[in-house]
Formats: sequence, structure tokens, C-alpha cells
Amino acid sequence: MKVSLRWLRDYVDIDISPIDLADRLTMAGLEVDAVEEYTPAFTGVVTARILSMKPHPGADKLHLLEVSTGEQVLPIVCGARNMKAGDVVALATVGAAIPGGYSIKSSKIRGEASEGMLCSEDELGIGPDASGILILPADTPLGVNLIDVLELRDTVLDIGITPNRADCLSIIGIAREVAVLCGKKLRYPKIAFKESSEDIRSLTSVEIMDPDFCPRYTARMIKGVRILPSPKWMRLRLEAVGLRAINNVVDVTNFVMMELGQPLHAFDFRFLDEGRIVVRRSREGEPFVSLDGKTRNLNAETLMICDGRKPVAIAGIMGGENSEVKEDTDTVLLESAYFNPSTIRRGARFLGMGTDAAFRFERGIDPEGVVRALDRAAQLIADLSGGTVSKGHIDTYPGKVDVSGPITLRMKRVEEILGTEVKAAEAAAILKGLGMNVKKEGRGVLSVIPPTFRVDLWREIDLIEEIARIHGYDRIPVTIPPIPAPGDIHDRKREFESAVRAALNGQGIMEVLNYSFISPQSADALALPESDERRRFVRIANPLTEDQAVMRSTLLYGLLETMRRNVNAGSPDLKLFELGKIFIARGEGEQPREVDKLALLLTGSRYGENWHFQGLATDFYDLKGALENLASCLRLAALRFVPDTTIPYLHPGRAARVLIGDREIGSLGEVHPDVIGRMDLRNRAFVLEIETEPLMGRADTAIRYREYSRFPTMIRDVAFLVPMEVDADRMLSLVRETGEELLETVDVFDVYSGKGIPEGMKSLGLRFTYRSPSRTLTDDETGQVHGRMVKRIVESTGARIRGES
Amino acid sequence: MREQLEKLQRDAEEELRGALTDEAIQVIRTKYLGRKGVLTSILRGLGSVAPEERPAMGQLANQVKDALSLRIDSVLAGLAASKKDGKLLQERFDVTLPGRGGACGKLHPITLVTQEICGILASLGFSIVEGPEVELDYYNFEALNMAKDHPSRDMQATFYITENLLLRTHTSPVQVRVMEKQKPPVRVIAPGKVYRPDADISHSPMFHQIEGLYVDKRVTFGDLKGTLTFFLKHVFGDDIGVRFRPSFFPFTEPSAEVDIRCVMCSGKGCRVCGQSGWLEILGSGMVDPEVFKAVGYDSEEYTGFAFGLGVERIAMLRYGISDIRLFTENDRRFLEQF
Ligand SMILES: [Zn+2]
Repeated sequence: MKVSLRWLRDYVDIDISPIDLADRLTMAGLEVDAVEEYTPAFTGVVTARILSMKPHPGADKLHLLEVSTGEQVLPIVCGARNMKAGDVVALATVGAAIPGGYSIKSSKIRGEASEGMLCSEDELGIGPDASGILILPADTPLGVNLIDVLELRDTVLDIGITPNRADCLSIIGIAREVAVLCGKKLRYPKIAFKESSEDIRSLTSVEIMDPDFCPRYTARMIKGVRILPSPKWMRLRLEAVGLRAINNVVDVTNFVMMELGQPLHAFDFRFLDEGRIVVRRSREGEPFVSLDGKTRNLNAETLMICDGRKPVAIAGIMGGENSEVKEDTDTVLLESAYFNPSTIRRGARFLGMGTDAAFRFERGIDPEGVVRALDRAAQLIADLSGGTVSKGHIDTYPGKVDVSGPITLRMKRVEEILGTEVKAAEAAAILKGLGMNVKKEGRGVLSVIPPTFRVDLWREIDLIEEIARIHGYDRIPVTIPPIPAPGDIHDRKREFESAVRAALNGQGIMEVLNYSFISPQSADALALPESDERRRFVRIANPLTEDQAVMRSTLLYGLLETMRRNVNAGSPDLKLFELGKIFIARGEGEQPREVDKLALLLTGSRYGENWHFQGLATDFYDLKGALENLASCLRLAALRFVPDTTIPYLHPGRAARVLIGDREIGSLGEVHPDVIGRMDLRNRAFVLEIETEPLMGRADTAIRYREYSRFPTMIRDVAFLVPMEVDADRMLSLVRETGEELLETVDVFDVYSGKGIPEGMKSLGLRFTYRSPSRTLTDDETGQVHGRMVKRIVESTGARIRGES
Repeated sequence: MREQLEKLQRDAEEELRGALTDEAIQVIRTKYLGRKGVLTSILRGLGSVAPEERPAMGQLANQVKDALSLRIDSVLAGLAASKKDGKLLQERFDVTLPGRGGACGKLHPITLVTQEICGILASLGFSIVEGPEVELDYYNFEALNMAKDHPSRDMQATFYITENLLLRTHTSPVQVRVMEKQKPPVRVIAPGKVYRPDADISHSPMFHQIEGLYVDKRVTFGDLKGTLTFFLKHVFGDDIGVRFRPSFFPFTEPSAEVDIRCVMCSGKGCRVCGQSGWLEILGSGMVDPEVFKAVGYDSEEYTGFAFGLGVERIAMLRYGISDIRLFTENDRRFLEQF
């Protein structure tokens, strides 16, 4: 909220600098976001006296003037008519800037020199009068900056008011805080005016059909008003806080809203059918044209101010076009009401109308300040428009507004919360300064009744906060609570994730962080079948863009998008991983399943462009190796890889499911060429995505040393010729299944197909390492064991032996 | 004879200095120490030496012989070594060429900052907890004293799934979930992703928070100040200025916004701190009795404080990042720098 210092000074004396004031307010919870010097949008305009005036020889409508600034006499050509010699006027000198981006130049107008321009209020943007130039009082000193003469300078504090401090949405509310913080006295505006003998009750009536939504409605009538621009003092104040001056009646309602925090509305009484007010709920679909000329379609929950026949305002939000004050308005019906905060909030949200009035009503205004604001506005309208206030006011108060009763405040409790003692006398002084009624109830106990404008104070803790805030947070001493002996210091998940990150970093794989929301198109891009659970999206009702409309059901889509952005940005060589949650919808309104996943993506050249390895592209085995390496780093039991041709977004011949034990945890493979095409990825990519939870706790962390053999090995290499589709895993399993004790390891040392190998076959070279824990093996002994081994493979797979050593 | 021996030694040394090949050295050895060499011919004159001086002369002749022999061996060895070096030098590599193997991977800056913060708080006895990101309205708002239709909900614009299901706007719902399950004392932190529909240079629709909660008997606002001051000094350095100023959060009372002296301008005022010289760094406060009521804690017996901080904000200050969108753009040239 913008607060004009000029305006603030109407209610409290301020003898500290604006910066110091801003600092004190900030440290009391009223955060000052900016301190701005407010000056009108012109420069170089000074006061000057017209010395002589004669008609322009070449133009009927222009005059030739000589004006004096006290220091120089300047020739001016002017088209206005309202001035005469001797008048003091506002002169925009050569080089002056005036609103609208104009700058004044020395010129010749129809052959006559003009060294400046005389300005109207309107041209300077300081008032509505465009009928002639601004004439200042005759005793105004000459050659002085107009901004100083008219006191147009102000300082405006922009204060962020937290939602609890409804009472500070007014200048008087801020003044009250200033008074307490600076030890000054608060001055309320004096309210006094004359009333006519005609009783308002004989002229109109107010009926409230819905006291829950509108607990209280008060009204006054002012007759014989003349609609005019508001005086300068009011316009300056309104404009400084960002409100546009309109006319003396509308401006008063805005002024009093800003001054006291009570929104008001003025109706032109002649447009009220049957001359009365009825407060009721709107009807579903009822159209209504608000003041801003827009047609609103109402729901059945909006509170409306109506006359005998039709709605004339959306209660607490905006008036209607059909009853607004116009240039020829004569009689004004002034409304000051208390509306239910939730009602106004719901209405404003439904209609999308966040007006200043709604903002205040929904935060809660002072239910007992309604009549004071009504009277203040009546007084000002009468003053400014020459109207007469009818006798008395209508106060229809069928509802009930909760206000706080006495609150017991224990000084001991203050100390328990704050950790420091505040003396009862100081606490009482603070609370009294904030407008509370404070009584001593017993030793160290106060009974406190908050004022009705403090709609945020109901409980002891609320009072403790007020005391702390004014006492000063900086005066509360710092203490360190005792640090407990660490209990279970092992945070399994955190440690697991750290280990995963370290293992992947060690392999040159970088961590990325993608949005949790993705495009619903992702399911089609990845060719997920209808039955795939990853199509069970958690959909955001109000997404920022359709690209971010669903929660991700896979990390892969985000990784592939990251790849595309980087490839387009000239970084085609990528090794990326992400750890994060995916979301699978359950029943309507039910929280989704959130699953922790790890995903990897490799693409481009294996080591980057580099003199060692030119054109060495990343492939499937880099990806698989990365996962195996990770498993090894984490001391996980062996992962299993099962070929799978049906993973929709993976190349059917280069994809596998990943299992740990019997549990399937994900898949890996080369991205399907169709996906590469659809997502415009340009290059081949290899991805894996696995669930991480099943890996935790599978690590073999109980390390037991096993004795190793001190005897030499016997190594036998065999190249088997097998059909292409016989996987290495099958051969290795056969070997392992023998359970041969002397076999220490078996490894694949060569895979070859092509020249010299029959079509459809491949050569698979296995290296068998034999060793005994207790003796040196002989050739014979090894030969026998090895022979059995090879025979078994040949018999089971139909492999032929291509070579042996 | 003594003179003859000393001269032999001098002459031989002199010749060795000029000898650059094995052959030349062998020639010198033969010339002086060979069977028909200089030494042999000198020793032939031993008969003419007085008998009492003979043993001394014999001894001297042996010394000269040994010394010269050693000297010749060492010159030979030196020659061999330098020959080998020359051969190795010809096998020279350009050691300035880049080494093999890729760069090491990097952690995302958000991970780095999260790990650091969690580490500091863990040292103060806080343990880490987690909660769902798709949260019930009840936990995200209602149990935190933010009823439906209350203006405090304006403080946090929200992504909704259904009327009662939303993307959590803060990590505070984890507080409630923890307290529902656990009796005091409670000392936890909850790091995680949070979501608000806002996107510009300083707002991301997804960002990270770390929530802290400490509930026990006799926990005070002074403890809150002490804990957070300790924490901020660890993160930003011992000299950092810290201030606590009153603010409002529906689930804490009294509430405090915590500012640090601007790390960009040291408090003089700059664009980053909006000329104020201070940077808002975290929100905090004493847990509101309404929240205790919602989880069944007795607020007369227990008090506590809670705080929440934005990880992106700290990362941006720490690393000098001015656009929050860089964190999710994942450009390699960004990621490589951490
Ligand atoms: Zn700064």
C-alpha cells in the first residue's frame, strides 16, 4: 500500500527522516518496500508575472506577452484568454519538460518570438482545469519552481501489508503504528457538519435479506450536491497513493476509504427505483453491468445491493453503471457497510475483480467504524459539493460480527515464548498504545480487550506477538538450544542418494534437474500403449502452459528434452542423470503414487571430441557399463538384464529389462529411432530408468574378508561358434551352473562375426581361469575339468569349437 | 720414484678428461695400467730404492693403481648412462597434450546447496524427513491455520489437481505429517520440491525449500534466533549481518522474516537488495498454537519454532546466478561450472 507522508502528517507528527521512518516500520512488521520521492511529471516550470499583453499582429486568437521571472523578461506567444497584465502565471521555460513527453523550445510563432509557454493545470497534469492557463495568487514570489510554490512534492512509502494487518490498510492505521513507534500522539480527523431538518428515514429505507452476508448496512443522504473537480489538497493526496481523481463525490469515497479503511459507495439517488435499498444474493446467471462498463454474469452466491427492482452494485466489490454519480447528480445516497469477509472474497474471486474495496472487506474492516466513516464522508461531500446532509442516518444491523472479548495475558507466558522477560508495565504501555484496553488482573497477569479494528487479535499468543514486535525483535537475546546426542545418524535414503551421485559423477555423468511437470504429449512421443500406467497422468487443473500440464510419469521425457535443448545449443556430447520422483495417478481426488527414480542418458561421442578417440560414439555398452559400475560402487548384488523387444520407446533389438533378484526395477536401451524422429533429437541416445527404492538395503554392506588362493592359475581360452541369437548370458549361465570348484572365473574375451565366420553365426571367446585354493594344478587335472566344461557347452547349445588354447 | 707415480696419476687424469669413447678410455687403461704400461715400468725401478723405503713405495704404487682403476670405471659408467638417456630422449612425448578420459561429472547446484544446508542442520541435531509433493489441501493449508476463503491463501498461489489435491506450495505440510506421527521432542528438516504458478526471472513454478521444525519443552524465540544466526553464519560466513523482523505466516506466531546483509553490496544498497542493503533469506516463527491443536500437541506444555528457506535463492546468491530459470534449463555449459 502506498502511503503519502503529507497525508500521514495530517494525523501524526513525524520528526524523523523518511528513511528512518521506513526502517522503524519495517522492523515493526510493516515492511517498507520502497521510499519514493513523489514529484509531478514536469520540470523547468517557474512562476512569472505578465508585464504587458497585446494581440498578435498575425493571428486573431494569439496574444503577445512580456513576462518577467524577476531576473529576465521574456517574450511569449500565448493562445489562452483568461489572463491579464499583472497576473502571476506558470511559465514553462526553454528546456522545460511537461507531461506527454513535450519539451519547450525557443520558437517563432507566426513570425513572433516565444521563449517559453504558459501552462494550464491540465497541461501540467496537476488538475483538471484545461479552460485557461493557471493563474496564481498575486503575491506569489517570481522565478520560483512551481513545484515548491504549490507544495507538490511528497514522499511516498510503499508498504507491504501482511494479510493479518487489515487495520493498516488505511492512512490512520499506519499513523497509529507510527505514533506508537515514535512516541507521538495520534490525531483523528474532526467530524462535524450540519444536517437539514429532513429525516433520512422519510426519504429512503434499507432492507437486508441476508444478514449472514451483510451484518450491517448504514446510509446517509446528501441533497443538492454540485459535481465538481476536487480541491487540490484532496487530489494531491489521492494521486500520491495511486488513485485517480474523478469528482468531488467519488473522490470523497476513495479518500475516506484510504483515510479510515472503510470502503464506501455513493449512489445517484434518482436512479434507485422505489428510492430504497435491498441487500440480497444474486440470482444464478443474472447479468450486471459494473461501473467499468463490463457485463458480469453472476452466480447465486454473490451479494448484491439492489433498489426496489434491480441490482445497483456488487456489494463490497464494485458499483453499477446504472446508478453511478454523474455530472448532473443532485442527491447522493452514501453507503457504509460491513460485509462478511468470506462472502466478498468468494465473490471477488468468482468475478475476478480484485478491487481496493474488496481487498479491505475480505481482510475484515472495523465493524464499529462503519458510522464514523459514513459521517466523515458526509461531512466532506457537504463541504466540497455544497450539498446538505439529511438528518440522521440509517443503521441496519441485523447480523452479528464477532469481536474479541477480554484476553488473559500471563507475563510468565510471554517469557516462555520469547525467552526474555518483558516487564508488565512495558507490555501494558505497548498494548495501550495500540489502542487496547488493558487492566491488571493479578500479579503478572493482564486482561486485555483489543480494539474492534484489530481483527487479528483473539488469543494470548497474538498479544505476545504485538509485545515482541513493538519491544523489538532485536532486543530478544540469542540462545542456542541444547544439541541432542545424535540418535540414528544414518539417514539411509540420503546416504544412498549421495553414493549414487558420487558413483555417477565419478563416471563423468552430470546431474540435471528437470521440472516435475511435463507435456501430456509425452505419452504419445514415447509411444506408450493405452494400458501403460505412465499414461495415468496427474493432471494440473491450472497449468501455466499445456507443456507443463501433467506431473511426469517418467524421468525420460525430461531428459530427452534436455538432450534436445543441448544438442540445439551445440553440445551434442552428453552424459546426464537425474534423481527424482515420478507420479502415477490413483483414484479421483486420491494422492498419486510417488516413486523415486533414477534415469540416465548418454549420447554423442564417448569421450567428447578429442585427439585420442576420434569419432568414438557412445553405445549401449557404455550405458550398461555405467549401471554395472554403479551397482559395483554401491556393493549391490548382481543386476540381471533380460532382453525385451516390447519396450515402446526403446530399439527392440537393443533393450533390456533390469532386475535385481526377482524384482524388475526398470529398463535400459537405445532410444527407438521413431522417438528420436518424433522428438527431433537428431542423434542416437541411450537411456535407462530404474526405481531406486528396491536398491536400498540390497547393498552388501556387511564386509567379510575371504581368503584368496596363493597357488597359480591355469588359463584356457575357447572360441565357440554359435548362432547369432545365442546370448553370452546363456553360455555363461551354463558354465556357472556346473558349480565346478576349480573354476575361478569365466569371462567373455572376444566376440566376432563377419569374415571367416558363417552367415548367422558368431564367435564367442571365453576365458576359463582354473585355480585350487590348496595346491598347484597340473595340466592333466585342468584338462579333465576343462574338457568336461567344454563338452557340456557344446552339447547344450550346439556350439562348435572354432579354436582352443 | 714418488714423483714418477704422482706424475703418472696427473697425466692419466688429464687424458681421461679428453676421452669421449669407451675405446679411448680402454686405450688409456692399457697405457697406464697394462702389463706393459707406465706403472709396470716405474715399478721396475723399485730395486734401486733404498730397502727401508721400499714398502712405502710399494704401498703408494698400489694406491695410485686402485684410484686410477676406480676413476676409469666411473668414467666408463657415466658414459654408458648418458648414452642410454640419449636413446630415451628420442622416445619423447608431447606431455602438454590433454590426458585421456572424460571430465568428472558434476552435481546440480541445487543438490550442492541442499547437501551443505542439510549438513549444517544435521550437526545441530536435525534429522531429515520427507513428504509427498502432491499434497492434500488439509496438510498444505488447513492444518497450517489457512482455512479456505482466508486471505492468507493469497500469499501462495497454488497449482491444483482437484479441489482438495494440490502441488504443495511449501515444505511446511511435512511439519504436520511428522507431528501427527511423533511425540515431542521433534527436531527435523524437510528438503524438497515445491510448486507455485509463477514464472519469471526470479520465480520458477518449481523450486526447492528446506523446512525446519523444533518442538520441545521450553523452546523460545531466543532459541529460534540463536539457531538461525548460527546457521546463516555457517552458510554465509561469520561476518554476515543478520536481522529478524516481524512478519506474518499463518502457521507461526510470533513470525519473523530473517534478512542478511546484502552479500553483493555489503549493505550499501544495490539492485539485488532493492537498495535496502538487506536480503530476505528465510521465514520463521514460533509454531502457532492452532497448528499444535491440529496435531494434538498441548501448546501449554510444548513450544517450538519452524523455519523455511528457498534453496534457489541461496544458490543464486552463493554462485552469482541472476536468472532462476537457468536451474531447470540444464544447459551443459551451466552444469559444468559447479
Ligand atoms: Zn545490495
